[in-house]
Parts: sequence; C-alpha cells; structure tokens
Amino acid sequence: MKKFDFKKILKHTEFYVFVIIIALSLIIQARSGLFFANNNIVDLLRSLIVPSIYALCALLAFVSTGPDVSFPLIAALSAYLAIIVTKAIGYTGSAFLVFIFAIIFGMVMGALNGWIIVKYKFPSLIVTLGTSSIFNGILLGAFEAGRMDLPQPLERLGETSLLTVKNARTGLGSSLPMTFLIMIGLYIITYLVLNYTMVGRGVYALGGDEISAERAGFNVKAIRFGIFVANGAIAAIAGVCYSVMSMRYLPTEYEGGEMIVIAAVILGGTRMAGGVGTLKGCILGTLLLTMVSNSLILVGIPVSWQRVFIGVIIIIGTAISALQSYTAGRIKSKVKKEAA
Amino acid sequence: MIKAKKIDDNIVRLLIILTAFIMIACVTRPANFIQLGNFQTMVKQMSEYGLMALGVGICMISGGIDLSTVYIANLTGIIAGMMMQNMAAGSNGNGYIYLAILVALLVGAICGIFNGFLVSYLRIPAMLATLGSYQLFMGIAIVISHGSTVSGIPEAYTRFGTTLIAQIPVAFIIFLLVTIVLSFIISKTKFGQRIYLVGTNAQAVKFAGIKYNAIIIRAYMISGLISAIAGLVSLARINSAKADFGSSYTMQTILIAVLGGVHPDGGFGSIPGIAIAVVILQILSSYLNMFPNISNYYRNLIWGFVLIAVLIINFVINKRKAAKLRKMS
Amino acid sequence: MGRYGDMMSNILCAKGIKKSFDGVHALKGVDLTINKGEIHCLAGENGCGKSTIIKIISGFYRPDEGAIEVAGKGFPVMTPTQAIKAGIQVIYQDFSVFPNLTVLENLAFNQVLANKKRLVNKKEFRKIAEEAVKKINFEVDLDALVETLPVADKQLIAISRALLDNAKLIIMDEPTTALTKKEIKRLFEIIAALKKNGVTILFVSHKLDEVFEISDSITILRNGENVISCPTSEITEEKFAYYMTGRHFDTAQTRKNMKKNIGAKMLEVKNLSAPGFENVSFELHKGEILGVIGQLGSGRTELSLALFGLLKPTDGKIIMEGKEVKLPNVNVAHKLGIALVPEDRLTEGLFLSQSIVKNITVCRMDELASSIGILSNKKSVEESDKWVKGMGVVTKNHELPVQTLSGGNQQKVVLGRWLATTPKVLILNGPTVGVDIGAKYDIHNLLRKLAEEGMAIIVVSDDAEEVIETCNRAIIMRSGYVTGEISEEALSREALALASN
Repeated sequence: MKKFDFKKILKHTEFYVFVIIIALSLIIQARSGLFFANNNIVDLLRSLIVPSIYALCALLAFVSTGPDVSFPLIAALSAYLAIIVTKAIGYTGSAFLVFIFAIIFGMVMGALNGWIIVKYKFPSLIVTLGTSSIFNGILLGAFEAGRMDLPQPLERLGETSLLTVKNARTGLGSSLPMTFLIMIGLYIITYLVLNYTMVGRGVYALGGDEISAERAGFNVKAIRFGIFVANGAIAAIAGVCYSVMSMRYLPTEYEGGEMIVIAAVILGGTRMAGGVGTLKGCILGTLLLTMVSNSLILVGIPVSWQRVFIGVIIIIGTAISALQSYTAGRIKSKVKKEAA
Repeated sequence: MIKAKKIDDNIVRLLIILTAFIMIACVTRPANFIQLGNFQTMVKQMSEYGLMALGVGICMISGGIDLSTVYIANLTGIIAGMMMQNMAAGSNGNGYIYLAILVALLVGAICGIFNGFLVSYLRIPAMLATLGSYQLFMGIAIVISHGSTVSGIPEAYTRFGTTLIAQIPVAFIIFLLVTIVLSFIISKTKFGQRIYLVGTNAQAVKFAGIKYNAIIIRAYMISGLISAIAGLVSLARINSAKADFGSSYTMQTILIAVLGGVHPDGGFGSIPGIAIAVVILQILSSYLNMFPNISNYYRNLIWGFVLIAVLIINFVINKRKAAKLRKMS
Repeated sequence: MGRYGDMMSNILCAKGIKKSFDGVHALKGVDLTINKGEIHCLAGENGCGKSTIIKIISGFYRPDEGAIEVAGKGFPVMTPTQAIKAGIQVIYQDFSVFPNLTVLENLAFNQVLANKKRLVNKKEFRKIAEEAVKKINFEVDLDALVETLPVADKQLIAISRALLDNAKLIIMDEPTTALTKKEIKRLFEIIAALKKNGVTILFVSHKLDEVFEISDSITILRNGENVISCPTSEITEEKFAYYMTGRHFDTAQTRKNMKKNIGAKMLEVKNLSAPGFENVSFELHKGEILGVIGQLGSGRTELSLALFGLLKPTDGKIIMEGKEVKLPNVNVAHKLGIALVPEDRLTEGLFLSQSIVKNITVCRMDELASSIGILSNKKSVEESDKWVKGMGVVTKNHELPVQTLSGGNQQKVVLGRWLATTPKVLILNGPTVGVDIGAKYDIHNLLRKLAEEGMAIIVVSDDAEEVIETCNRAIIMRSGYVTGEISEEALSREALALASN
C-alpha cells in the first residue's frame, strides 16, 4: 500500500545521519582498509551496546517530557545494589535474576524522578540533575562503593560470547558479548510498545500536545510516570550490562555518560521540544558518535583529537537540525499564506 | 503607588537559611567550625565553582544554559599554565604572568562568544550548543596539553593561591568582586535588564527593538570570561591544570543557580541570590567534613536533596503568592 | 427560528450554575438552555465566564452549585467521559490536535481510547478515520502530519473527530479566530450542514457580525451572570454591545464628530514589495488615520513589519518627511519615529511575567539610562507611572507582572510603551483583538485624540467596524496586493464589504 516516497525520506534527519555514516565508513575504509574488517565491525557493535541502551532512556524522556540526565547514575547505583544483593544471598544461578534485582532498584529510582516531575511539573533537566546528585551521593557516600569483582552469575555471562572473530590479516581478535542480544531485545520491545500499543502512541501524543492528550482520554500523568519508571528499568539493565562487559564493577565509570548519549539522540532526529523521535534515529545517532570515537584512530587521527571531532559533529549536527526547523517554521507560514 | 521593593523575597529566604545553618554549625561543632583556617579553606574552594555558577546563572536568566563553563575554565587554565611554563625561563620580571592571564581571559571570552554565536545566530538550543562546545573545548584542551596534567607553574603566580589580604584569601576577594560587579551590571544597567527580557520572551524582544543576538552573545561571553577567571584561580590554588578537572562541577553550578532563585525557563533570578546559595552549600559541605566518618561524597547527596527541596518550597510559596495575586486583581 | 420556545426539546439545560476559584466567583448562578437542532450563540466579554461554563458542561470542572440536564437526563456529577457519552463535544480554540502525528491517528485516538482498546490496529484506525472525514466530505491526506496542514484543516479534523462520537451538541470555542474569510465561509457551510443533520451547535463568539449571521438564539453573560437569552432576531446590534458591556457606545456619533486636522505629508510608500506583499503604494499625512484592511494572509501583517524594519523590502521606496529611508532593523525605525503595536500581544508584545514598569519602559531604556548604560529606577517608575495614569491602566501596583492585567489593560500597556517613544508614525496591527468592548472604545478614542494632536496613524485590521470607527481613509489588501482605496466620504460598511469581497 505504501509507496516508496523518496521525497519524504529526504525530509528525515535519519536519512542524513545514515548518509554521513556510510560516507564516513567508506572514507575510513579507503584510508585504512580496516573499517570493514570483521574485528572492527564486532568492536564497533560491542561499543555500541551500552550507549544505545542509554539512548532509549534519552529518547523516551525527550519524546514525552524533556531531557533526562539521571540514567548513568541510576545504572551505576542499581547495578551496584543488584551485585551486592546477589553476593549477600550467595546466589549462583542465572544472571537473569540479577537483572531483575537491578531492574527493581532502577524502577524505584525512576519512580522518584517520575513522581517529582509529574506532581510538580518541574523541568525534567533540573529534577534529574538533582536526583543524579542524590544517587551519586548514595552510591559513593552512603555505600562507599568501590571497584569489585562480579558475582558468579554475571561473571559467567561475561565469559560467554555470542561470536568471536579473528582478523586474518592483522591477527586481532574481537568478540561480541551476550549483552548484544539484550540490547536487540530492548529495542524490539520498545519498538513494539511505542508503535503497537495505545500507551506507546500516548507517549508521542503527550509529547506533541499534553492538554490535547488529556482531552483525548490518555492518562497523561500515568504515562509520564511510567516513562520514568521504564527509564529506570532500562538504565538498570544498561548498568548491569556495562559491568558484565568490563568484567568488574567500576562505580566511577558511569558518571558523565549522559551528554554524549543525549547528543547522539538529538543528532538522530529527536526533537528537543518533544513528540518526535524514532528508534532508527536513536541507533543511527549513537552509531555515528561511536564510530567517531572508535574508528578515527584507524585513519591516523590521534586519540587526543577525538573530543574535538565529537564536539564539531554535535555542533554541526544540531545546527543543521536547528536551521531546518527554523526554515520549516517559515515554510509553514507560507503554507498558511497560500491557503488564504 | 507602592514603592518598588528593594530586596526580593527569595534573597531574604536564602539569608534566613544561611543564618540558620551557620548557627547550627557553630552550636554543634563550635571548636572546629569557628576556626580561621576552616573559614579560609572553605572560601577558597567555593570561589571556583561559585564563579562558574554566576556565569551559568546569567545564561539561565537569558533563557539558556551553559554546560561548558568547567571546560572553558580548564582550557584557559591549561593555556595560561603552559604559557607561564614556557616563558618563565626566558624572562625577568613578572610581565609574562600578566600576559598569560590576559590571554587566558581573552580565550575565555572567545569561547563564550562562540557559545553565544551558536545559541543566537545558529538558533541551536543552548543546552545542545554548550554540550557540543564543551566537547570541543575539552578536545582542544586535550590536544594542546597532550592529555596530561599541566604543572610546574612558576611560584610567582601560585603565590596568589596562598596570599591572604586581611586574613581573606585572594580567591575569595576575586569572587566577591565579580559578584559585586555582576550584581551591578545585571540589576542596574540596560544590558542587565535586557537579559531578563530576552529570557522572558525572545519574540517580543525583537518587536521592542532589542538586539537579541547581541544580548545573548554578551551573556555567554560574560559566562566564558568568568569561567576563565575560575580557571586562573584554580590554577593558582592547585598549581596545575588538566582537561578533565572538576567534571562534576557542571551539574553543581546549575544546581547552585537554581537554588539561588534562577528560574530554569529564564527571566528570573539574581546574582546575589546565586552568591548566597554558593555560601550556603559550601557551609553545608564543610560542616559535614567536620565529621570524620562521613564521606566527602555525601556532599552530592545533600546537594541533590537540597535542590529538590528548594524547588518544592519555591513551588508551594509561588502557588500561594499567585493565589493571592488572583484575589487582588 | 420557529424552533425557539419549544421547551420540551432542549438538548441542554443548565440551571443556577455557580463556580468559584480561590474565592473568586467566576459564575454566580448562570442558566443556559439550548434547544435541539439550533445554533446557539454564547457571547460575552473576556472573563465573563464563557470558558468556565463550557468546561462545566463538558465535565472538566465540577460546579459548586446548580444542575445540568442533557436531553432531559440529569447529571448530578458530570465527568468528561460522561459528557462525551451524552453526545457533548468541544472544539477548542487550539483544536486539540497532535501536530507531531498523522491525520489518521488524530482522528482515531479518541474513539479507540473510548473503547478502552490497548493495542494499535492500523486497519481499524484507517476505517475510523475514513468514516470521520466522510461525515463532512473533508478531503485530506490521512498519512500527512498535522503540523504540515493549514489551520482550517486542523479545525476540520477536530470537527470530524467530534462527529465520530455521535456528537449531538458541538461546542465551538471562538472557532473563527485564526481563519481566513474563505475558511470562515466554508466553516459556516459545514455548520449549516450539521444543523440540517440534527446536530446542535453552541457557538461561542464575541464577533458581532458572525453572531448575527449564523445563530438562531443567543445567551449573553456578563461578570458571571446571565444578561439575556433570546432568539437572535429579537436583538439589535446596538443592544448586543450594551448587553455585553453594560455601557452605551454611540459609535455613529463619534464618526460624525471626528475632528480633522490633517497636515503635511508624513510618510509615503512607493511600489513597496516584500515577501508577502507586492507593489504597495500609499501616502499618510500628519493627523490622519489610515486603515489597512485585509484578511489573514492578505499581506497586511507583512506590510506593517516592513514599515517597522522587521521585514526586508525587496523593492520600492519608503519616504518619510520627504526623505527616502531604509529600515534595516527596528532600532532605525524607532529612531525615525516609527512605532508598531504588534498583532499578537501575548507573544510579540508583552513580557508577561515581568513587571508593568519593565514592559512600559522597555523602548525608552536608552533615554532612561545614563551615558554608560546605568538605569535609574526612579526615572523608570516615574515614566511608567505617567503612562499607566495617562492610558487609564487599571492596576494596584506597577511592580505586578503584566499577566495579572486584563486583555484590554495589557493592550494599553503595549500602546503606552510605544507612545512613550513619541512616535511620528504609529502603526497598530489589530489594535483591539481580544480586547473587551469597553477597552476597545477607549483605545479608539485615544487614537482619534492622538491624530487630532498631529500623529500619523496606520490601523491594520480585519475588523471593518473598527476601520469605519477610527479611520479617515482605508486601503484594502488582498493576497498581497492593494485592491482598492476608499476615501473618507465613501467609508462605510457597505463600501468595505463590496471592496473586500
């Protein structure tokens, strides 16, 4: 039924990000010949896992409400608590239960965000900034969390890998951890919920116009609260994944992850004002920034330049979308005129 | 005609909180707390993030935010530090130090202007613009310092870090001076009033003939300039500079601005309010440091808690005030 | 009209409705009875309680006292869901659409949610949407994003969505505000068709001509109380204004009494073009009020912007006091003595949360400040005081935020701000939009007084009445061109209607 509409595609930010990714990968391939090497691809996918899970939190928050910056610390604190609990009860079974522990803690923290934001209608940036600070204080102050080894279930999960490749030419090997499947699973679930349930459509509806959503019969407060609880759960999963992939729990490594993720999600076409954003854009934006931080070294650009490149990409990317929405506003007023 | 109020309610509230804290601290921990040495460490620490909070506050009043202050401070610290290192050997006298300071301030101002350009001319939302630019500033700092700590600052400069004037550290005097000058600029000048108007309604500003872009660029320039001062103060105090020093300060500066009464959507807030909030938070965390068994990280917990609490208190008070206004009109 | 009085067949009967907020009485016992199948107009000035009663009927507010009956059935407590079930639908001023979603979803959501479905069935969505647009023969791409559509289409989406729920009573809140003349015509056709199909309409408006054109009967509220309810045929236009405001306005007299003091040529516009209008020429003299009348999209707003340095002309000349001037920005226009009271008071005019003092003195900061830019608080307050008194702004304190004022007083603040700059040419774009009739009368009187004192004034408006009451001459704009000019002698409603249609 749907025709392939090229003009429509041209209007989507995702398309441009996609083109940039292709161009960048071709350039890196041409310069180094190593980009499409099996180990590099696997490495890239591996580095994509945690930021792309975080990106879900950023996306859901932006589409429905506004920026959420608390996910890295929810990840850190809930992973810590889950590991402590697992160790304390001496549980050695499946890693699944450890994730459940973490998810429960994460949901409680997300609920705190959601409650304050829904009840008082404060800007989500400020609230999540405050709760991040609280979670950070609890983690490093109250619990005095330090580096520690993982409990057995997570250790086992970390040792198994989905796929191991070895580059014949360079001899470098790389393996794809099981957490990759978790990420894929989360994306599929989020996709289905956002597109095929009324609650999911409600997330977009309330991001588009909150009052209209209320009038239409969406339970705006419940949906918004639910988003932050879900964000807590997703962040918790990311937190455990991160520790599984580094094979240790590193409490101070989480902080500060939010900014790049937010930038990636916005680059992927998510609108800061709410209501617009896709999973496609989310993953493409994350992929682009991950590529820049992972693969620039392949073209001989020193690591110390990485930040400069990321900064420039964020600025150019956001400038393009800012100017785009500015001209879109102008086109809109033109449409209005023609209609007259 | 009722006369214009001289001091707003928020500052009164903050001052009450401040006095209450000082009293509690003095009564419960009199021995350590009233000591001069304690006072001196306290004010030195707070001067740096306090300065940056002032810059963030101004940007927030103008309807934006500045996430890049910490990295402007680091970048300028690195530039000044490297200049001093390189020129110390070949020069007699302290001229080179002044030159390095001047260059650092200039770089800070340029960084700020760049932020302002992104926000005004390119219309990038301030949060994203400064998110991008902080990566850029940090990146440049890494590139020029090769990612390592710049240290070995000439003693002629670091002396500032330990100098006391009438028992008051120079850093704090600088903080006070900047606070006073900015308070004056923001509350008493055309430019200051226009920052509030820009933060209230960017569209109406255009119709009133106020140059939006110019105001925004100047607001971010001030923020960049103050961040450079913070960077220089920090360089003198800890005798070194690094591209990723004080990452957690970013969040704290925003927190302080909000505590000080700056409205997150712009248009409201005052410089003295921010300065008092800085003092309150520093007293609070210094007080906690008096208890040896409480980790320094508790500071984050308390700050986050205070932020949310203050938001809620302001919310309740404003709601009552609005109800009163509605009855009046 | 014969339907009126058929008491048995009323669809809605609200009696003795009282509602107060924080001790302020918004409704002091209002009755509203609407007969089945009629177009009923609810009129009243801003703040008379119109929107409160709508929210009570649609279940969003609970009345403190009073009873509501829908089609003979009593509702002690009305919830939004119950109201919808009873067939009551509200078309809000903002149309309640989701700009970021497709037409399809916008149409289907309410129904799907009302059926308590949890999953999305695309086929079902499409079926619902197709059914909806068919009800009013509305042609639209169902897969288009709503934000890409013109305003009128958004309204039609809202109407067809309302009809889906078997609406028996559709409440339209100021439905013509953002529409062009053509769109209003189409809307009225649709309303007429709905009436034919037995749908009752409650039309909320304060626009005289619309009310008389479309409604069968009318209820007027003032200060939360009923003033009158009667068939529209029993009320005259003069009485309508009196009932709304409680004041008598002798507009016919004022025009006759208009003093003329037309002086030298002040402003001349020659073949001016800019995005939005082309080849516009006119002259304006001291002491003259020139009307620029045109509908939304006629280029009237763009013309006012171009004369104030906010829109760059592509061609043509602006000559002020005999000298050609270029207006690259507002400051240059300001220095030359041009002032503009913008179209949208809330977004373009005021700093709502800031004080009245700041709002009035914003354009005078340069004069109120010392040479190095330091503002004098005393001077600012004096200046503001002068204009608050001069304009008759009703307020207790200058330090209060402007948002505490009523629409009319807010407009006086904007006007005062620009008069404070002692302009030679004052341009007003829609000077009395959303302003009470009383304040409108005051503002019109003020404009005439200013003209008598020698100011050259341009009134840009789509309100024929306003132009007739205030202007010496008028030019008519349509789709970006000046299509006619009406001299003082010929300026009448008939002439305007003739020229602009």
